[in-house]
Order: sequence, then structure tokens, then C-alpha cells
Amino acid sequence: MSSETVILFQNVWKKYSKQQVLNNSLREELVSVITGRKCRDELAKGEFWALNNICFQVQKGQCIGLSGHNGSGKSTILKLISNITYPTRGTITVKGRVAPLIELGAGMHPDLTGIENIYMNGTILGLSIGELKKRIPDIVTFSGLDDFINSPVKKYSSGMYLRLAFSIAVHSPADIFLFDEVLAVGDESFQSRCLERIQSIRENNGTILVVSHDSAALGRICDRVVKLEHGTVMSGEVS
Amino acid sequence: MFKRLYAYKDLLLVFIWREFLIRYKQTAIGVLWAIIQPVSLMLLFTFIFGVVLNTTQKNYPYTLFYFAGVLPWTFFSGSTNFAVTSLSGNFNLITKIYFPREIIPLSGVAINFIDYLIGLAVYCALLIFYSVPFTWNFLWLFPLIAMLVLYTTSLALLLAALNVYYRDVKLATTFLIQFLFFATPVIYSIDAVDNRWKYLLFMNPLTFIVENMRRVTIEGRGIVLWQFGVELLGIIALYFIVYKIFTRIERAFADVI
Repeated sequence: MSSETVILFQNVWKKYSKQQVLNNSLREELVSVITGRKCRDELAKGEFWALNNICFQVQKGQCIGLSGHNGSGKSTILKLISNITYPTRGTITVKGRVAPLIELGAGMHPDLTGIENIYMNGTILGLSIGELKKRIPDIVTFSGLDDFINSPVKKYSSGMYLRLAFSIAVHSPADIFLFDEVLAVGDESFQSRCLERIQSIRENNGTILVVSHDSAALGRICDRVVKLEHGTVMSGEVS
Repeated sequence: MFKRLYAYKDLLLVFIWREFLIRYKQTAIGVLWAIIQPVSLMLLFTFIFGVVLNTTQKNYPYTLFYFAGVLPWTFFSGSTNFAVTSLSGNFNLITKIYFPREIIPLSGVAINFIDYLIGLAVYCALLIFYSVPFTWNFLWLFPLIAMLVLYTTSLALLLAALNVYYRDVKLATTFLIQFLFFATPVIYSIDAVDNRWKYLLFMNPLTFIVENMRRVTIEGRGIVLWQFGVELLGIIALYFIVYKIFTRIERAFADVI
């Protein structure tokens, strides 16, 4: 296995606000249009550091677990990797296509059928329509929803809904997969299929980041587990 | 912008297709709605201004006069109305996954553009029906459409982005659209306006676009070139400024939405 670094966090800080300080943030962004990038280092009222000077790197083909209590910054790290939000300070380098499974089924529309939602969700994950056409039989088989695939998603049970979303996500040809508490999806047989799938992603040299507060479960599937507390890396930091 | 969007062109297509599906799902007459809306507005205006108030606008049928104004107007108001809540309404997507954010408001503009094209087909049929003579000035319609789309896109992006921060924008837009309706020569012609006020009205790019769409297609008149130049430059400059602002504040959307 190559030891190419695919994710690199260098002194990453992320500031969040407890309140809605919209006028501040909008004004800052608008000013920065003219003056170039600039950020305030000090905290304004109601702001806090969600991430404190995070440094870590992930090599290609690794499976990393992130564990910690609620609000320790696990999901923020995933959001930064997938470009949903940007760091206040520090730099993040990500090489390759990212498939964020941060919340399953975010792009689903209840009135559309299963197939239509596969197109919707798949293109959001960065697949082209052509790629999706080829993968649809696989996705449908994996989800086990053959009988319901042409019904509107609003008729699905919540388990079916998640199964469909998960199937779409794991079939994307990404290099880096981000899982946020999604391993608790579906019944036992579906879970074991998911674990097999994770195994096969790893065999194909895909990189995986899993977030969970269940450190025991993480220990079973991951190469190493990074523990976070209040936005700081507590243990498991490997360079 | 095009470079950024190219990688996500399939997503844009799927978004447009999704909006199209959602819009006409569980409807009985489907796409016919695209025609019913402008046609019924046209009939209403013709009745109010032609019959009830008995005004004279031009020496050609009222139906043509009003339809020529209603079509671009419906496109503009439909697109901006869709766009303003498009980002804030899709917060579940914005906070969960990355894609160029402008895709959502753009798909609203695109879907309204499809309706506009359907309306244009009806309009051309009307022109033939009333046997309006064709002149080469008709071709001016195409740059005018391009200007309409660019201007609408700029406003759609700006309003959508600002509404992420302030929901006031949504409330203000309802008012703004009503206001612009009367500031745009949809139900009147700028020809009847005193010169002093003409220039004031031309501050609104829609005035130039709508008025000239009528002139070049029905009256066979040309365009005043220097006005065209000024309006075009203004619209292009507005677009670049808006797009710059959009890509800048887009980075914070997921945090403030």
C-alpha cells in the first residue's frame, strides 16, 4: 500500500457562534471581497472555537475512526474535509474525490421515486448521469428495494429510506469516504453487507473516515482511532 | 463560473429535471400551466385596459401588446420568486454536502426559462395569427433575451445569497417585485411617457428590455444603439459584481443558514 497523504490538517482552527451574529459575518465576508482574506483571531461575544489547532494526516487506504462526545468537533472535521465549511485559520489539503455520508438522504425528495432519487443523490455526490446509468442495477440490488424502486420515496419506511441513501453513497467512485454515525443503519443483514462493503472499499485502496461515539465499534473496523475532546486531539495522533 | 459549473453540469441538469418533475407531479394538466399563466394575465389586462378603462396604447391588438410585456415579466418574477428562498429552503442540502451553491437558484432560472420559451412559441403563433409583418429587426429579440436572462440570473443569485443571512430579503422581494411591475412597461408603453421620466425609468434594465422586445417584434422598429450599449454594459458589470460577492459569501452559507 502506498503511503501517500490524502488528507492533511495543518493547525486548523474553526470558530462557531452560539448566536446568530449574521450582520457581523456578512459584513466580514463583504469586506473581504475588497480587501482579500482576513479573519479575526479574537472571539466576539457568543463565539467559541469548535476546533483548536487540529493537526493530523491520513494516508491513502487507511481507515480512521474519530470518536468523542457530542460537540467535540468530530462532525466539524468531516464538514471541513468535504468543503461544506471552511476553516477560520490553518490549511486543509484533500486529494481525491470525497463522498460524504454525513447525513444520509440529504438530497432525497419525497415526491420522487426511488430511481429518480438515485439520480438526484448520485449527482450531488459528484457522479455523472452516465456513470449512474451503469451503476443503477448494482445500487438497487444492494439496497434490496427492487419492489419499491418505482414508488415515491414518501411511501418508504424510514429503514428503506436509509438503505436507499446508503446504497447510493457507497456506490460512488470516490477516493475518500466519510461516514458520520451511519453505521447504525438498517437491520442486521444490511449492516453486515455494509461492513463487507467497507472492507471492499479498503481493498480497493479507498480511504475511510468514520465518526462515532462508540469507540469499541470503531476499534473493530479502523486502523486507528483519534479521540477528540472540546475540539482538541486527545490521543491517537499519528503522523 | 462556467469552469466551476462544468464539473457539476450533470447536477445542474438533474436539478432542473427535478424541479420540472416536482412542479408538474400530481397535476392534471401539467405543462399547460406554463401557457395558462401568461395567457390569462394577458386576457385580464386586455379586458381591464382595453374594455373597462378603454385606453388606447398602440394601433395594434391589445392581446399582442400585453402578451409581449407579460412574457418577459413572468420569467423575471417567476425566477426571482423561486430563487429568493431556494438556498434557505434547501438548508438540509447546504449543510450536508458540497456543490457549487449557485446551482440551486440557477435551476430555478432555467425552469422558468423553459416556460418562457413555451410562451414565446405561443407569442410567435399570435404574431402570425395577426399577420404582423416580419422585419429583420426581429432578430434583436435574441440579444434582448440574453440580457433578460443575465439580469434575472444576477438578481436571483444576489437575492438568494442575501436571504441566507437575512430573511427580510424574502419579505422585501415580494414588495420589490410588485414595485418593479409598475416600473416596467408591461401594462403601458414608454412611448407615451414624458422625456424627463423616460430616463428615470430606463434606470431599470427591465424597462429597456421589455419595451424593446415589443418594438422589435411587433412594430418592426430598431434599437437605439447607445442605449443598448449602456444597458448591456451595466447588466454585465452587475453580473460580475454579484457573482464575485456570491462566491465569496457562499463559503459561510453552511455556518449561518
